[in-house]
Amino acid sequence: MAHEIELMTAGNMWKVLVKPGDAVKAGDTLFIMEVMKMEVPHEAPADGTVSAVNISEGEEGLDAGFVAVVID
Amino acid sequence: MLEVIKSGLETSIQDWPGRQGYLKCGFPWSGPMDHWSFRLANVLVGNAPGTAGLECQFIGPSLRFTADAVFALTGADMQAKLDGVPVPTWESVAAKAGQVLEMTFPKVGARAYFAIAGGIENEVFFGSRATFNKGGLGGMGGHSIKVGQTLPVGTGGNGVAGRRVKPEARPVFVTDKRWNVEVCAGPNDDWIDEAGQQRFLTTDWKLSSKSDRGGFRLEGPEWTFTDKAHNKLPEHGSDPANIVDHGYPLGAINLAGQTPIILVNDWPDGGGFINPYTVPGCAFWKLGQSKPGEIYHFQQISVTEAQAAARRITALCTESSIETL
Repeated sequence: MAHEIELMTAGNMWKVLVKPGDAVKAGDTLFIMEVMKMEVPHEAPADGTVSAVNISEGEEGLDAGFVAVVID
Repeated sequence: MLEVIKSGLETSIQDWPGRQGYLKCGFPWSGPMDHWSFRLANVLVGNAPGTAGLECQFIGPSLRFTADAVFALTGADMQAKLDGVPVPTWESVAAKAGQVLEMTFPKVGARAYFAIAGGIENEVFFGSRATFNKGGLGGMGGHSIKVGQTLPVGTGGNGVAGRRVKPEARPVFVTDKRWNVEVCAGPNDDWIDEAGQQRFLTTDWKLSSKSDRGGFRLEGPEWTFTDKAHNKLPEHGSDPANIVDHGYPLGAINLAGQTPIILVNDWPDGGGFINPYTVPGCAFWKLGQSKPGEIYHFQQISVTEAQAAARRITALCTESSIETL
């Protein structure tokens, strides 16, 4: 089952820690946003393989709800 | 007591109206940004208005109740669950000892408020339990809550589950990312020329992600000034927005060169930039519920209108706004 990881909030993309093909475990941090001068880590909801990364470091003005990473 | 399982994003203990009376020492008021929602949370669980609760921003915490309790969540809906069962917002809810309240993120709005009957009873510092995170004052050891901490809860609570805030008494959050925010002119509006004032009031200002509980930075066009800003005594400073150091009011739109910054709850008490406009307290809930990237359109009102609006909010933050399910 594919898991779509949506941005939890509007903000900027500070660090992207995965790339397509990476194996991840539930709880692994996939990427970290910057919002209101704070770091917002986004974690993998389940074990799997990253099949898509739709964000890149340094992007600004991202919207909440955008599908940033897909895990199969 | 409440055990912190996940801390959320700088979840902080706050009380309203916060740390009053020490601005001259450099201590801002702090307190909840959306005090309308916060105050109603306390009303729901039978707490006195100054009782401390939690401000949860962007990502909420997970908390375990160590004793039976009555709590309420107001403000942004962070899709909370109690032992996996969805929890309604704007209602008082009973929790059993051992149950876990999990909050995630809001689809609309930015800040949720948690009140528990009896209140959170962290140490009072200079008259308030409110957290001033940057200053290391109040809260838990001067900061936001941390995983593994236990938050003390007062024993005098007499909360009742099944009470709800009437829909007409709640603030309405925008869903199109555009907020109409009231401002009052001054204290330094006479430093901005007519074109600059019109530009300010007609521009879509974007809330920058480089903002926090000290200041909300705005992105928009350049400002233009009156002669007063250009032809002044040298002690004011060289930039048109410079002025001899003066006090900054809460809500001031502080013009740092060409960058306007709304000074919010943990604000610096003074400095050497002009403040052409001020967001009054009645509009602060909108600031508290907006996210970076969202748009502010400023609407000028008089001080009298701002005070009347504040009184309307205060009248709503009372038992008259509660209905029993």
